[in-house]
Amino acid sequence: MSQTAQSLRANAQALAGVLPPLLADAERLAANVALGAHGRRRAGSGESFWQYRHAMPGDSMASIDWRRSAQGDALFIREREWEASQTVAFWVDPSKAMQYHSKSNAPKAERAKLLAQATASLLSRAGERVALMQSLASRPGFGQNKLHQIALALSKLGDESDYGKLPMPHGARGGHRVFFSDFMAAEADIFPALHAHAEAGNDGALVHILDPSEEAFPFDGRIIFESMGGVIDFETKRAKALRAEYHQRLQARSEQLRQWAHRAGWHYLHHSTAQAAQAALLWLFNALGSQR
Amino acid sequence: MIGFLSPAILLGLLALPILWWLLRAVPPAPSRYRFPGVRLLLGLKDPESIPDHTPWWLLLLRLTALAAAIIAFAEPVLNPRAKTAGEGRLLVLMDGGWASAPDWQIRLAKVDEILAGSTRPVALRLLTDPLPAEGGMDFIAPQDLRPIIKSLTPAPYAPDRDAFADWLLSNPQEPFETIWISDGIDNAGPLANALQARGALTLVTGLEPALSLLPGRIEGEQLLLPVHRVATGAAQSVPVLAIGPAPDGVEQVLWRSVADFAPGQADTLAVFDMPFELRNRIRRLALAEGASAGGVVLADSGLLRRKVALYTPRDSQEGPQLVDPLFYLKKALEPSSQVIRGTLDELLLAVPDVLILADVGALSEEETGRVLEWIEAGGTLLRFAGPRLASASRELGAHDPLLPVALRAGGRQLGGAMTWATPKRLRPFGADSPFAGLVPPDDVEVFAQVLAQPGPDLSGKVLAALEDGTPLVTSARRGQGRMVLFHVTANAEWSNLPLSGLFVDMLTRLSISARSGAAAEEELVGQNWLASRTLDGFGTLADAAPGQAVSGELLASTPRDRRTPPGYYQSFEREVAINLLDEETLPKALYGLPLDVVVEGFEAQPETPLKTLFLLLALALLMLDILASLFISGRMSRGGQLALVVLAFGLAGEAAQAQPADDSRALLAANNTVLAYVITGDSRIDEISRAGLFGLSRTLTLRTSIEPVDPLAVDIERDDISLIPFLYWPISDQQAMLSPVAVGKINTYLRNGGMIMFDTRDADLGAGSINGGVLQRLTAQLEIPPLAPIEPDHVLSRSFYLLEVFPGRWNKGRLWVEAPSNLTTIEGAPFRNLNDGVTPVVIGSNDFASAWAQDERGRPVYPVGQGARGERQRELANRFGVNLIMYVMTGNYKSDQVHVPALLERLGQ
Repeated sequence: MSQTAQSLRANAQALAGVLPPLLADAERLAANVALGAHGRRRAGSGESFWQYRHAMPGDSMASIDWRRSAQGDALFIREREWEASQTVAFWVDPSKAMQYHSKSNAPKAERAKLLAQATASLLSRAGERVALMQSLASRPGFGQNKLHQIALALSKLGDESDYGKLPMPHGARGGHRVFFSDFMAAEADIFPALHAHAEAGNDGALVHILDPSEEAFPFDGRIIFESMGGVIDFETKRAKALRAEYHQRLQARSEQLRQWAHRAGWHYLHHSTAQAAQAALLWLFNALGSQR
Repeated sequence: MIGFLSPAILLGLLALPILWWLLRAVPPAPSRYRFPGVRLLLGLKDPESIPDHTPWWLLLLRLTALAAAIIAFAEPVLNPRAKTAGEGRLLVLMDGGWASAPDWQIRLAKVDEILAGSTRPVALRLLTDPLPAEGGMDFIAPQDLRPIIKSLTPAPYAPDRDAFADWLLSNPQEPFETIWISDGIDNAGPLANALQARGALTLVTGLEPALSLLPGRIEGEQLLLPVHRVATGAAQSVPVLAIGPAPDGVEQVLWRSVADFAPGQADTLAVFDMPFELRNRIRRLALAEGASAGGVVLADSGLLRRKVALYTPRDSQEGPQLVDPLFYLKKALEPSSQVIRGTLDELLLAVPDVLILADVGALSEEETGRVLEWIEAGGTLLRFAGPRLASASRELGAHDPLLPVALRAGGRQLGGAMTWATPKRLRPFGADSPFAGLVPPDDVEVFAQVLAQPGPDLSGKVLAALEDGTPLVTSARRGQGRMVLFHVTANAEWSNLPLSGLFVDMLTRLSISARSGAAAEEELVGQNWLASRTLDGFGTLADAAPGQAVSGELLASTPRDRRTPPGYYQSFEREVAINLLDEETLPKALYGLPLDVVVEGFEAQPETPLKTLFLLLALALLMLDILASLFISGRMSRGGQLALVVLAFGLAGEAAQAQPADDSRALLAANNTVLAYVITGDSRIDEISRAGLFGLSRTLTLRTSIEPVDPLAVDIERDDISLIPFLYWPISDQQAMLSPVAVGKINTYLRNGGMIMFDTRDADLGAGSINGGVLQRLTAQLEIPPLAPIEPDHVLSRSFYLLEVFPGRWNKGRLWVEAPSNLTTIEGAPFRNLNDGVTPVVIGSNDFASAWAQDERGRPVYPVGQGARGERQRELANRFGVNLIMYVMTGNYKSDQVHVPALLERLGQ
């Protein structure tokens, strides 16, 4: 059920159109020089006022602030703060597990892609630079072209692995990271990478996407469960009896992620594909904006 | 009872327990499911208490399915035809009397079943048949007997078992076995013993014995009809019909009554509390259900309709009519009685119930003697006073034997110019008087009367008195009859009583209790009687076959036999009704059977193979198993289950749902011209009828302005036919008898202008053709006027085309239409001059539908004749069809054409 790049973007922009432009937090500007469209606490090219200084020979006439200069004899130049955009990098779980869907619900991957694209669209509009990790669009950028790139990359997303392994950070430090996954993989595939990201000075959000049937486990009778790639299987003679323990384990994984996010100052969202995408987008908007 | 054609296969049922064990041991196949959450499940253990075997109900379902399949292949048969065991010769004996008639078809089916299951030489006898000839009975192959079974009919009298028993004893025979189809009544002992002397005897009985009716009697205003039953079991309500001519002469049900039997009661009365005029019209009383000759009572003319003789003295003057002493009597009696007039000699010959002498003086001694004789035989003499009687009593002085009381000389004047006394009113009638219950009006007054001699017995003879106690009506018994005297005149001369309604009531009360109803034997003896119409075993009245006259002695003797079937008999001008049963010949329950007789019932259900049924059952169960397996493996969503269940029940419901009474048919018939045919139940004949009427509709559309829509199939028992102008009714030997409801419906249809064409489809081959017999029995119930072969001038021959012959697929058969009631000759040509002479039925035998039949493209479907002549015949058949429908639509319009010259002439003036 893979969407074409066009329709994916169209859907995402429709979703993003509802929200006001998202401004990334400016507070971390100093620590994240290279990242984010935020003031760099030094003069430079930007929009907001930084300081007045005396005009020096060599300054262009056009840069003289005549209103300030008129108050005295000296000529002043109005300097603006150097503003640079922040980078938000997304990771969408490409594994087969994300392709799973129960009846009447879309695959989890689809939801993840939609949310990623929508958020990217919003951020791009706010002047932030967006990137999609582990893809052609891994270089941060903004504008329609970048969104096109991301959309294209998202639509081609998908590999043969059963469960998604989180990527290790590389390249620029700092900035935001947003992970979309069902986090069904082994702990070793998840937490070391998360630790590395946190240590690299990134902050971000974990969006834990699950199918309703994964939460409810509505099975009974004799069933052989297989992973989506068929690598793992498990036979039960009476699935119903396992429900409680399954719930317990799923809850444990959720809780583990939540705890980790709490300690690292990240955000964690438990999202079911049965819920509206809008709610998750709103949450992402809040999560990325609250660090202001 | 179920039998198996291949019982060996049933051994397969032994394998079921093994299957049970196998199915229990093997758990249902697991389903595979791709589920990312499986990683979380790894390492979990199933709880101990997992039921890993098939649920018991699924197991049961599968075993049942398998058992059904095994049973199906063993070819089960419901009611397997018992191959009549034994060897040697077999006699199938039927009682064949009137008591067998209600269930005649069941009996015939039983005989057919016996014959079909037998390969032995068989003889078939009805006990009502004449005794076999000296040579003994013919035992022939059973398949040769089967064709004649359908032609057997019950006789309108009881079987003569004793005669056959005697014949058996006196004619030594080879031994044979006997199956005796009994009617369940009367003494079976002698015959059973005689038959057992020849071989084994099986008695087939068990049907409800027939009900019987006895001649009714009149008590007060009511007609009471005794109903007798043999099986005195539970309470029972038996509807009884009084049948007689309507004012237009067509017989119909006049009244309906119900005889209620209490549990254990054998005799009860059906009460007909009906208006006198209606009762007088009753011709016969019959059971509404289970018709037989014993269930019909013919009302003889004397029993129900009084014959009243008015004696007119020869010397009566020609006075004004209103002073005629008989004028008011005639007016009062004529509506309810048969009034005859004449001389005393003539009247006494006619044996009246009541003889009225109004103001007649003394009769001659010889006449007095004859009248007295008649009274003693049960007659009622009704006399009215008057001047002549008064003067005669003065002359005689003594007691006139034809008067109930002795009269005082002269009369008595009350009121008037010359007396002090005032006119007297009537005293209310006493409770023991025949007039009890009547209320004398206040304005009835008596001005003059004759007075009775006082005597010790006078008060016992007074039926009505004036307010001063002087008798007004006196009566005296004499022999079986009685004499009644009104002490006033029969006209308004002495009182205004004859002007009041009370007079009519008083006469009615006197006249309806006029005759006791016995004395049939005396009427019969000494004369020879010829049957005019007789009952058959089913209780249907038909013209009697020409035969010999029987003597009155024979006719009066019971029980009836072949020579004296019940019916109407004539001698000179007189007609008597002879009924089958009287008190002595009432049927009793079967008795006298030897102990060792094998008694069988009538379970004559046909053999039904059940293989298909069981296979379908197995298939359905397997389907169910599929659903159930899906269900327990969790592969079916709730919605899917619901849909399937709904679908399954929906289909079943659809099939089980009865056809709703559809207005669409009525609308079709009402909004269009539509021809219809009666469904016979034989799909081949129905198809011919449909194609025939379709072709005829097409022909009509092409050639005439009648444009019928596609023909309608009619179930005569259920569908409404009132809107259909023309009904084609092919007769087949499978034609079922009509229910009373259907008969009523068809009669109404015919009476209101519908037309039915009966087609026996056999070209009248052989006088007693099977279809002809079926048609006769069918139409016997219907109100069909007298029929006659069609005459050359009939409107049917020129309602559209000019036709001389009326062929169908055959061209030999005759066409019957309503007989012309009057023929006149106009300008030398015979012409039917009927005001509404449209025949309600046309009866043919030429298989018309086959000749009319066309397929969708208008090509003929069935061959007619050979070559060009055949095509010509088909064309003529089509023309006849056109004429027929034209006739249906326009009636006798064409017969009016004869008046055209006269009309033109009149217009020209």
